[in-house]
Amino acid sequence: MRNDLVFFAGIAWLAVLLAVTIAAIGRARTTAERLVALDTAVLILIGLLGLVAAENRRSYALDAALALALLSFVATLAGARYLGDRRPFDQPDEEGP
Amino acid sequence: MSGIIADVLVVLGLATMTLGVYGIVRFPDVYTQLHASGKAAFLGVSALLVAAAIGGGPEIVSRVVLTVVLLALTTPVAAHAIAQAAYHRREPMRSPGALDETATIPGSTPSPGEGHVGDAAGD
Repeated sequence: MRNDLVFFAGIAWLAVLLAVTIAAIGRARTTAERLVALDTAVLILIGLLGLVAAENRRSYALDAALALALLSFVATLAGARYLGDRRPFDQPDEEGP
Repeated sequence: MSGIIADVLVVLGLATMTLGVYGIVRFPDVYTQLHASGKAAFLGVSALLVAAAIGGGPEIVSRVVLTVVLLALTTPVAAHAIAQAAYHRREPMRSPGALDETATIPGSTPSPGEGHVGDAAGD
């Protein structure tokens, strides 16, 4: 009933997009741009795992996608906080003089 | 019928994600790249996941709903954190006509009404 060719083509095209994004990680000029490209690569990987789960009609890949979404959020947040003020976990002006 | 809807959603998600990746590659600075990453890529992956949920069992649908809700909550927060870090580091705005309303970033045009006020004094 479902046209599997579209899902196969989607998986292949997402693999191409993932390769392009990884190349964009390599040629980013600043660390913030590298962080953005890394975040996008994880989003593409989540979409790829979703298509694989729909293709196989199994839900294992979606467990990995869910864990990847959680992990990517924490990693991006910690990276951005460390990039901004070198302190990932507290406010910069909470300490006394 | 549901197969057609799923196929249309897959094509729509692929087109949106392609636009997002094209924006990541082509936009000149991190502030504009965040538009492509935070909006286009998230909407594309949501469309792909919803297409994966159509016609799937309840175990697939529940995981898709969890993942989409989680991404909808976390993607704007992550994009805002990256933008705040980049602004804190005074990363230059390379896009033409970029307007820095606080005028603390070199290379960007200051706000027209403000002139040259507060050059890193109130940081």
